[in-house]
Amino acid sequence: MPDALATLVGTLQAWLFEHAVLPVLAWAGALQYTEDAFNGTEEFVLGVLELALMMAVLIPLERWRPYERPAAGEGVHADVVYTLLHRLGLFPLFFFFAFRPLFDAAQAWLHLRGIPTVGLEALLPPLAEHPLLAFLAYLVLLDFAQYWVHRAQHRIGWWWALHAVHHSQRRMTFWTDNRNHLLDSTITDAILATLALAVGVAPAQFALLVVASRVVESLSHANVRLPFGWLGERVLVGPRFHRVHHAIAASPRGDYRGANYAVLFPVWDVLFGTADFRRDPGPTGIDDQLAGRDYGHGFWAQQWLGLRRMAGRG
Amino acid sequence: MTTIVRAAWALLLPLLCAAAPVRADLVVVLNSRDASVTLLDRATGAQRGVVPVGKEPHHLIATPDGRELIVASAMGNELVFLDAASGRVTRRIANVPDPYHLAFSPDRRWLVVAANRLDRVDVYHAADYTLAKRFEARSIPSHIAFSKDSRYAFVTLQGSHELAAFDLGSLQRAWTMNVGRTPAGVVTSSDGRHLLVGVMDDHHVAVVDWQKREVVRKLPTGKGAHNLAPRGDGRHLYVSNRVENSVSVIDESTMSIVRKFDVPGGPDCMDLSPDGRELWITSRWAMKVSVLDLDAGRVVRQHPVGRSPHGIYVHKPAVGGAHAPQLVAAQSAGAAAPARTAGRRSRSG
Repeated sequence: MPDALATLVGTLQAWLFEHAVLPVLAWAGALQYTEDAFNGTEEFVLGVLELALMMAVLIPLERWRPYERPAAGEGVHADVVYTLLHRLGLFPLFFFFAFRPLFDAAQAWLHLRGIPTVGLEALLPPLAEHPLLAFLAYLVLLDFAQYWVHRAQHRIGWWWALHAVHHSQRRMTFWTDNRNHLLDSTITDAILATLALAVGVAPAQFALLVVASRVVESLSHANVRLPFGWLGERVLVGPRFHRVHHAIAASPRGDYRGANYAVLFPVWDVLFGTADFRRDPGPTGIDDQLAGRDYGHGFWAQQWLGLRRMAGRG
Repeated sequence: MTTIVRAAWALLLPLLCAAAPVRADLVVVLNSRDASVTLLDRATGAQRGVVPVGKEPHHLIATPDGRELIVASAMGNELVFLDAASGRVTRRIANVPDPYHLAFSPDRRWLVVAANRLDRVDVYHAADYTLAKRFEARSIPSHIAFSKDSRYAFVTLQGSHELAAFDLGSLQRAWTMNVGRTPAGVVTSSDGRHLLVGVMDDHHVAVVDWQKREVVRKLPTGKGAHNLAPRGDGRHLYVSNRVENSVSVIDESTMSIVRKFDVPGGPDCMDLSPDGRELWITSRWAMKVSVLDLDAGRVVRQHPVGRSPHGIYVHKPAVGGAHAPQLVAAQSAGAAAPARTAGRRSRSG
């Protein structure tokens, strides 16, 4: 099955690249970007397949055992738009490739002067010979960074104004994962891409790290009761754990400042005292929505309101 | 979750297959996007194993004694040495920044490395792989060739559309010249007078009189003319046209195109079988290696390998126990032995 899937991805990638992307590059006289474009095509294919897989698995699950029936709150249409924008290779990969020339230039400057740069595999040489270990090490490292970025999103006022778009969904489904203000995504993805490049993550690794992370994040936002068990809840972020983070009770003016910030591994919340394995999630959203505060209905309204509030207006 | 499983398998597989038995008829393929090499049986195409070699292995070359292959792990910043007959990893040299393409000078004194990502050309002492000189080379240094007397190393610069020459005697930059849009592969003609350069965005091979620093002819081989490999008979060269999906044959004696073959999947690096009857070609987009039967004039087999296969090496057994000199990754035509004698050097593109 893994081989079959790899073959499927490779076949779709090759077809799309040879029939759509490469002719455009040749026409534009831009064949020096061939390899980047080929890699980008793979991310796009992975994004499409990943989305199809999520829809095939999570939509039936959400209908089967939902936390809440879709009665109150706004619909998911805007969240679908966000998902297509983010998942089809656009955001994290854009930053990875946009930042790569800057890092290459910095590395070139250092190497020309004989100053070595630090990569995770240079610090831990066995990782170079064990790709799976290297992949896991990078996954843990980036998730650790995501935990602290996430805490900052809740702690810093102007950043919360942007991040609130994500939390304002009162009908949380797996589509909600990508409901993010574009500036919020820009900042977080830029930070993660910078870190990934700094520790020596290769483009192919980054693509798989992104996919692995997104699959877990889709699941954790899903409106589905899944029994992870005592141990499972502490190993991987699941729907209940993350729904507590989105609960109205956990929003900034609620009865506590927040919990369960981890994206993939709950261990960070355990280590830093922000884990909550007990609370029943309850309704999702932000507490002041109950008092009538509007976070925008639809993509453009949410983007505009987010910017205004970040600037201290509205 | 299936995606994670697939990723895990893709990464775990090399660990499970790290060892390979010693066999002479070996084909080594660099999977540039899988951080691994695939070892194939030349006769059957069966996979003998997959060996992890570090991130972004693009090109490889045999050591001058022919006993080892050097795989350049571009993002791994190291050279990984494989036993040329078995594919087993024998040693690694770390802290070689961004080795993309690499080549030994014909006199075996220098190892020249093009750092494609970091815009540099590095010259190492071939005897002990210590750095002799580091040149800034903007931008995107790609492939390397040499003058027959080993005085000059020539490097294509894809980003600035140039060909640069470096004087290996004085270890100084000699000159640069415009050569066409996005130059890639470069080889020295058998008589040493010309350089032939695959000019991707102009879809031709430029014939350069390097002493006059002048493009004297343009051979329209096909869309995306990319890499070149000498047949080893002192007369013919193969050119992969990566956009058109074809391989052209150039006759050096007339500097003309004499034949073209269809090769699917983005043909890139090439290497001949020991008997000279098959051209093994990495099909970059298709995760396959294509075997072109030169007598039949068509691709007769394709073998699955890893993602974005790039450099390729077809092992040539030594004659009488001696190892043939193996010098340049697909470049210095003048150093090649005749195609149908055993013990030819390695090449990648």
